[in-house]
Amino acid sequence: MTNTLNRRNFIAGASLATLITAVGARAQAATPEDPLLVTLVIPSPVADVGWGHALFEALETVKADYGEAMQITVVENIYEGPDADRIMNKAVAEGTKFLVAGSFGYQNGAMQIARRNPDVTVLHASGFMVAPNFSPFAAQYSQGTYLMGMAAAALSKTGKLGSVSAFAIPELITSLNAFVLGAQRINPDIELSVVWLNSWFDPAKAQESTEALAAQDCDVIFSNAQDTPSVVSKAEEIGIYSFNLNSSMKAYAPKTYLGCVLTDWSPFFRASIEAHLAGNFKGANAFLGVGDDVVKVVDWSPDIPADVVAQIKEVEAAIADGSFSPFTGPIMKADGSEGVAAGVTMTNEEVIGMDWHVKGVTTPLPG
Amino acid sequence: MTFPKLVRRERASLSVMIAAPFVALAIAALSNLVLYAAIGVNPLAVFKAMLIDPFTSYFSFSEILLKAGPLLLIAQGLAIGFRAKVFNIGAEGQFVLGAICASAIPVYMPQATGAWIWPTMLVFGMLGGLAWASITAFWRVRLNANEILVSLMLSFLALQLLNYLLLGPWKDPMGFNFPQSVMFQYDALLPILLPGTRVNISLILALLVTLAAWFFVQRSFAGYRLEVGGLAPNAARYAGFSQSGAIWLSLLIGGAAAGLAGAAEVAGPVGQLQRSISTGYGFAAIIVAYLGGLHPIGILFSSFLMAALYIGGDNAMVSAKLPIAAVNVFQGSLLLAYLIAATFVRRKLVWPQGARA
Repeated sequence: MTNTLNRRNFIAGASLATLITAVGARAQAATPEDPLLVTLVIPSPVADVGWGHALFEALETVKADYGEAMQITVVENIYEGPDADRIMNKAVAEGTKFLVAGSFGYQNGAMQIARRNPDVTVLHASGFMVAPNFSPFAAQYSQGTYLMGMAAAALSKTGKLGSVSAFAIPELITSLNAFVLGAQRINPDIELSVVWLNSWFDPAKAQESTEALAAQDCDVIFSNAQDTPSVVSKAEEIGIYSFNLNSSMKAYAPKTYLGCVLTDWSPFFRASIEAHLAGNFKGANAFLGVGDDVVKVVDWSPDIPADVVAQIKEVEAAIADGSFSPFTGPIMKADGSEGVAAGVTMTNEEVIGMDWHVKGVTTPLPG
Repeated sequence: MTFPKLVRRERASLSVMIAAPFVALAIAALSNLVLYAAIGVNPLAVFKAMLIDPFTSYFSFSEILLKAGPLLLIAQGLAIGFRAKVFNIGAEGQFVLGAICASAIPVYMPQATGAWIWPTMLVFGMLGGLAWASITAFWRVRLNANEILVSLMLSFLALQLLNYLLLGPWKDPMGFNFPQSVMFQYDALLPILLPGTRVNISLILALLVTLAAWFFVQRSFAGYRLEVGGLAPNAARYAGFSQSGAIWLSLLIGGAAAGLAGAAEVAGPVGQLQRSISTGYGFAAIIVAYLGGLHPIGILFSSFLMAALYIGGDNAMVSAKLPIAAVNVFQGSLLLAYLIAATFVRRKLVWPQGARA
């Protein structure tokens, strides 16, 4: 509760007639002793798993350090558009000083808030705009999905992988590309089929798509940015392997769970909140991966052969210390042209804007 | 076992009519108290955030007007069809097509300036919605294809068309492959009506459409023909009123209104074409139309009520930390209580003789 109701307020709230009193009883001006109000806005429900859940968990972890000095408000299921703009404005008007805009579609509205309120720090998921008090943040999922690709190739009997993916934005395309590149490290002929759902959260469509992929002989399914465990539980039911991003869904597939590319945002949120409170926050593009302790691969399936596990661990260590990037040439594009020349590594900027598929992805990009 | 029967009252008393919404509100509020107690949220904070806060500041009140605009436009168009028993459930798709057609101008002419741009966009939007609805009308008249199904399915097609454009030809070239168009230039945005808010000129249009709808329904012969066709199809046929004409007219009016709303949304608060241009306005407007008793003046009030409920629900999440599911439960129970109360304004329970002995 941001505004504690006093007795006068209480009566005002109870009777519809005394609207005017309620105006006078709005939030008081902030004093230094006031707790830091943090608001998280996300496009899907917080639920028990998935993207929103990972963001919320991380904020809760940071809150544990601050106790009463920090308060979190979660606003869930918010369409990307005028509604989100209003809600973020409302949150800031009620005293929010640290805003986490949890979807790329909130970009324009969140940026306007940052410009109009220099004392508010805004973290924005998956975008590309930067301002002194506005940082876009994204996970380098590709580092984790590359490792998953290696495991998937070792376990796939058909040589066909599948993915149920949300939107064909660079972040997700990159995850898929790294997944295929990792798999090709083990089996050069492996292929990937993708179903684009155009939704972060659609349990029914996610299930149907998993069935469709299984019917096309795909025997490892990548649940790409789905905030529902539907893909994972469906894969278990069919008896094929699956993995997902953000938070572990092992409970939904105890037998055929390949693992989870987990995101732990708490190191990033903690650093940002500390900087905000110290008054030295500096907006910058935060593209965080295994080396930042933000991306972690956990809950590996026990079925992965020991020699592949050893290889995975080796690559993981090389990614963490920065000596290896999944996007090192030669990489061929799906259309047969050259994507990255031999020996060249794509820059972060190039990876963030990646809008083409690597060779081995059989489904063309939408549009 | 005997059950009581609902019997139409001969006269609905005025005091009961006025009391009904408040009784509904009280019942919904009371029934939700238990829920809030169970999840540990202060119920007074919730009611304040949901029912009072939206009206207590200029800005949040203006947001209700902003939200009510598209609901009002679409619902007025739909209600005309519903009265004629032509069930256009696909306003969502017509809204999307309106938004797409309006966006064509700023997408293809991002540098253009001039006062002609936004009015032309609104006209394009209207034509887009109209064209999309005409597909439904054509198949209904031609093959007697059910207009509920056709219009609903066309909504999903419209969304796929939107996705195609945003991921392909209309994608912002500077937008890192994100599915959205360029931001519209200044002249492609509707003039702001209330300074300092996002309420734009489309609210005036919505009110004019309301006036026009009232005139059409109450005063015009075309409206009368439609109404007779809905109430007594055989009588309408006997009188020589064309049934296919009624279908065409109903769907085209509904489509044009929804298309106009879609255009006003992209040229208004959104300012670009993107995936989530509609937050389900096309479907919510169906509820608005029926809540307003399919009457132009009633719809004026019901669109305002629905908008206030939406804004209040968002407030409850921000200020009272209520989870979205509980917000939906409150809104749902309020609508349910209101519909029940409204039923009892016009009807009463009559127990069969002897059953209560």
